[in-house]
Amino acid sequence: MTIGKSLPSVRSASAGRAGGVPPSAPPPRDRAVSRRAAGGRRAEQLAPFVLVAPAVLILVLLRLWPLLLGVNFSFTGDGDRDGAMVGFANYVDLLHDPLFQQALRNVGLLVLLLPVAVAIPGLLATFIYLRVPGHRFYRSVYFFPAVLSPVIVGAIFNLLLSFDGPVNVVLSSVGIGPVDWLGDPDVAMFAVVGVHVWATFGMALVVFLAGFATLDAALLDAARVDGASLAQVIWHVIIPSLSRTIQFVFVTTMIGMLTSMFGLLYVMTSGGPEGSTYLPEYYIWIQQGQMNRPALASAASTVLFVIMLVVGLLQLKLLRRAGRED
Amino acid sequence: MSRVRLGRWLLVIPMGLLAVATIYPLLFTANVAMKTRREYILDRFSLADSLRFENISTAWTSIGMGRYTANSILVVGCSVFLLLLFGSMAGFALSQLRFRGSTALFIGCLAALFIPFQVIMVPLARVMADSGLVDTYPGLILAYVAQFLPFTVFLMTSYYKTIPAEIVDAARIDGNTVYGVYRRIMLPLGAPALLSVGILNTLFCWNDVLISLLLMPSADHRTLMVGVTSLRGQYSEDIPTFASGVLIAAIPVLAVYLFLQRQIADGVAAGSTKG
Repeated sequence: MTIGKSLPSVRSASAGRAGGVPPSAPPPRDRAVSRRAAGGRRAEQLAPFVLVAPAVLILVLLRLWPLLLGVNFSFTGDGDRDGAMVGFANYVDLLHDPLFQQALRNVGLLVLLLPVAVAIPGLLATFIYLRVPGHRFYRSVYFFPAVLSPVIVGAIFNLLLSFDGPVNVVLSSVGIGPVDWLGDPDVAMFAVVGVHVWATFGMALVVFLAGFATLDAALLDAARVDGASLAQVIWHVIIPSLSRTIQFVFVTTMIGMLTSMFGLLYVMTSGGPEGSTYLPEYYIWIQQGQMNRPALASAASTVLFVIMLVVGLLQLKLLRRAGRED
Repeated sequence: MSRVRLGRWLLVIPMGLLAVATIYPLLFTANVAMKTRREYILDRFSLADSLRFENISTAWTSIGMGRYTANSILVVGCSVFLLLLFGSMAGFALSQLRFRGSTALFIGCLAALFIPFQVIMVPLARVMADSGLVDTYPGLILAYVAQFLPFTVFLMTSYYKTIPAEIVDAARIDGNTVYGVYRRIMLPLGAPALLSVGILNTLFCWNDVLISLLLMPSADHRTLMVGVTSLRGQYSEDIPTFASGVLIAAIPVLAVYLFLQRQIADGVAAGSTKG
């Protein structure tokens, strides 16, 4: 079996095991041990399988199986056509549903805003790495919203951004008319994305700082000695050396935007006003939970999965090309 | 050189403002929770005139935040225990034992990491309904374990790979079974990783709303985060009580953050650098 052959590369350290004795048969030291070893040998050989069994069982039954079931499900009907194969009917319905179209447009908006959402923590991490006065303090303060649930964050900003809420009170005191942050279809999505960025930039910041820890300080010193400006240092030294980290943050930020804004949407706007803040994940929830159309929801799930795959692969490709040009 | 110094000090202003913007919303909420309704309507920003805990006790008892908190503690506690148990068992086997299919298994786990919950939630709800697990504690616990297990196995495997094989060999020569090695060597040696993975999983499960909303429909079984979402409609007029409910839900996470900040940040960093 090919899997069996590829094993040594996984545990290359096993080559150094004492005298090359197979792990299932430790050298017996006396009769009692040897008898026990012989009796327990079968159990010992099964041990690795027993150890992984709970994890494998749970993952197969509750992740892999539903994934297959869901794809299959998306080709069946809802309501009185439950279980009957309907081909691509659900996908056609999806594309004609104005709410789903809005959800896809909002995904496009997220992709456009992605560079901003990555640049903010990237810049802040750079400043902290360059030891701005008080960098330790900033590091721990900025990370703090990242541990709060989107539900709590959403509830707090519901309070702050409500029409007669404190943000508008402050704005009107400097003469800016009240903004209906969560009630104006042109503004609401930006408000929600802004809150999402507020809540998650600390997470990306920590990832960036972990990347900086691997950066060669001599390179920075050399650039400094050559009289490079901060912008030049960022562009010519930091970005190329951290390309792997930047790539990782791009992908995880996009995944975060596509899969962890449900709590915010649910609490802040419920998809409104006029459906302007729908995202695919919220659409799936509504179709499954409120509209009782699980097959349509499954089709939307499959589309979301494909979007995530495409976005992930595209970003990897773009970033790799950018890296090569440097 | 002095220009660089000056530049650094200029950065302090925007970074300081951002720090204020990061903390202020929660401080504002805490302040509102101490106010009376009248006080809030008259002036949103003034400090509450005294430390008043009436709103908080109203939220705790009559809205049922106490009940929801107990539900959350039960579900999160069981989920994290099972995650650490199964995750460390599988991590030990995948990193230190050679067996047929271990590579494929590890790759499978990595792949499962990239299946978001939204993609499987519809069929999962049906599988749970078919097995009678909807609206039960075991159902929600199983769903959490399934959701966060790939991440846990991945991090535990990476951590256990750093433990030299000689330690395992020595323990086996001393007559330990594989299970003995797991219990006496791997669990104690894995403590730092178990701690940081455990904290992260606690946060993930505690903060979840979608899974809980999907699998625990009845009001009696609500977890704390679902409880917070239910505040919105009922208490949109009574802002101080609303703020109290939010504060109750935020305090445990705040406490964890204040004491275990290092471990949380290290866990996130480990997840990124090993990826």
